[in-house]
Amino acid sequence: MTQITMEDVSKYFDDGETVANYRLNLEVEDGEFIVFLGPSGCGKTTALRLVAGLEDPSEGAIYFDGQRVDGRSPSDRNVAMVFQNYALYPHMTVAENVAYPLKIQGVPPDERDRKVEEAMSFLHIEDQADKPPAELSGGQRQRVALARAIVREPSVFLLDEPLSNLDAKLRQEMRSELKRLQDELGITTIYVTHNQEEAMSMAHRVVVMNRGTIRQVAPPGELYSRPRTEWVARFIGSPPMNLLRGTRQNGSIEFGEAGSVDLRRTSPGGLETVPRGTVSLGVRPEDITVETDPPSGTAAIEGTVDTVEPLGEYTIVNVAVADQIVNAKVSSTSVDREDRVYLTFDDDDAYLYDENGELLS
Amino acid sequence: MADDTHSPGEPTPASSRETDQYLPPDAIPETAPRREDDVATRLAAAVPSMPRLLKYAIAITVAVLWIVPFLGLFMASFRPLGEILAGWWHVEGMTITLENYTRAWSYQTAPMGRALFNTLVVTVPAVLVVMLLGAMAAYPFARFEFPLKTTLFFLILLVMAAPPELVAMGNYNTLREIGLFDSYMGLILVHIGWGLGWVVLFLRNYLLGIPVELEEAARIDGASRYQIFRTIILPLSTPALVSVAVIQFTWVWNAFFFPLVFMRSPELYLAPQVLPLMTGRIQVEWGLVAAGSVMTMAVPVFLFLVLERYYKQGVVAAVTD
Repeated sequence: MTQITMEDVSKYFDDGETVANYRLNLEVEDGEFIVFLGPSGCGKTTALRLVAGLEDPSEGAIYFDGQRVDGRSPSDRNVAMVFQNYALYPHMTVAENVAYPLKIQGVPPDERDRKVEEAMSFLHIEDQADKPPAELSGGQRQRVALARAIVREPSVFLLDEPLSNLDAKLRQEMRSELKRLQDELGITTIYVTHNQEEAMSMAHRVVVMNRGTIRQVAPPGELYSRPRTEWVARFIGSPPMNLLRGTRQNGSIEFGEAGSVDLRRTSPGGLETVPRGTVSLGVRPEDITVETDPPSGTAAIEGTVDTVEPLGEYTIVNVAVADQIVNAKVSSTSVDREDRVYLTFDDDDAYLYDENGELLS
Repeated sequence: MADDTHSPGEPTPASSRETDQYLPPDAIPETAPRREDDVATRLAAAVPSMPRLLKYAIAITVAVLWIVPFLGLFMASFRPLGEILAGWWHVEGMTITLENYTRAWSYQTAPMGRALFNTLVVTVPAVLVVMLLGAMAAYPFARFEFPLKTTLFFLILLVMAAPPELVAMGNYNTLREIGLFDSYMGLILVHIGWGLGWVVLFLRNYLLGIPVELEEAARIDGASRYQIFRTIILPLSTPALVSVAVIQFTWVWNAFFFPLVFMRSPELYLAPQVLPLMTGRIQVEWGLVAAGSVMTMAVPVFLFLVLERYYKQGVVAAVTD
């Protein structure tokens, strides 16, 4: 199995006109499931292709188990890749597709047949063996692509948005299946997606990317509970974290007519760590309580209910606070539009970000 | 049951609407319900409108104009000269004979049998080599980056624009010098060179439509460039290669000008060259010319009919996946 290291890897296209990746530094442990997460165009697919060997880095170095591999062909790296549209060979049957990498490697027919059969039964596609890919459903094609990838026992497994062409139900199914697959085979895996739910549910660690660089590398739990920047905070979670802009005044943050929050509550490190001027207070929608009476004792943010979205499982209350909208996710509510409400939250659930969007304390 | 789906002002009674709203599973038909129209309505629907009739009329006229000369040729090839001179369209008292064919096959100055053999010897290699070389040249133009790519491609297009008469002179001299004038090989080479231009253009455009991911997947699977070309690109290009084969075959088979320039010895004459010789000295032997023509064109037509199925299959497969 393989450990992957990326050292200051940059990739430029069009003679340097386009920066796809800029100075990526990443260590992927042996057997780890890493997910590259980011909005479209953030360079996550390019980063994956750099690891695969389909692109060569403009600068920097990539190591597999301490051996430098950039400049080497994909076949030399023993990586397997599943493409977004599966890239099955349309002129071959399912079995021929799965057998193709072994055929190229020159594996003797007996062994080849045995391995192909193994891979196909592992993914439950034995019945499809003689069909052309065109006759398969999306989920089945997905399985064939996975079988083709695992059949030659690669040391690194690369997946480029493999679930994005499936319907919601199938996506969920394949998600847990992929996780099981990775767990059973223990292959170092890099998975690219723009879907945070996929990322959070499968990854050992998530690499959040934006504008070609890495914004945060953390396990899903930490990513959710301690987003390092405002950008990450807003990217993770659904609906995303509320970020209220306020001004620091002596011992508290002022939100104009909406009230203020005592600074001692949110910055355990002490007042010194919080700079003067504009700061952002971040609270996740699920951590906010909506109350109709002013709570006694604790400070609360005051606002007017803008809309109420009942979603069955929970209800989202959108509250206009000063000139911003705050989302609150509550299990049930009796508030209506135009109601005056007070928003409260636990001290531990609040985050402070400075003007540059970096987490304070 | 509360009326929770309709506004209370609606005239329909709530209870009947309630039962109508959801169909039981067995009320959903397997096939679309047949419409029970009377004969008059169906007749009216089947009669085309005036503008549509006009379109049909034009289409049929063009089709007939297209087919009549061929029909005439075909009829003439099976009838004695006397009947042809009276007009091939007179069908009463028609004599059907194969004499024209047998005479044409072994016509003394230029036997059709020999000519057809020569044509086949020239055409088959000229088609196969052009397919292989064309695909090999088109692939880099579709996928690789190399210096002067655009310029070279433009040159190919430029050569295609030249008339055959222009290249004939140069080729004539070259073939004379290297001793390939008046030989199968010489003519084959000229046809390969002449056909390569459009074949490269045609195949390049087709190859551009093959998803790059397939090649990347093959690269990841460990295939070399050559293996990718042989196991992925060539099989996926079958429909385009079949089209190239049919078009190039027809072109080389029917070519008149190139054999006329480059084939001097009568025993090396090709079929299209032989046809005009069959007109005879005193009287034009229409029957012989017609039989010769039918024999000549039978081969490309047959080829097209046979390959059309594959061609269609390939195109459909290429579109659906």
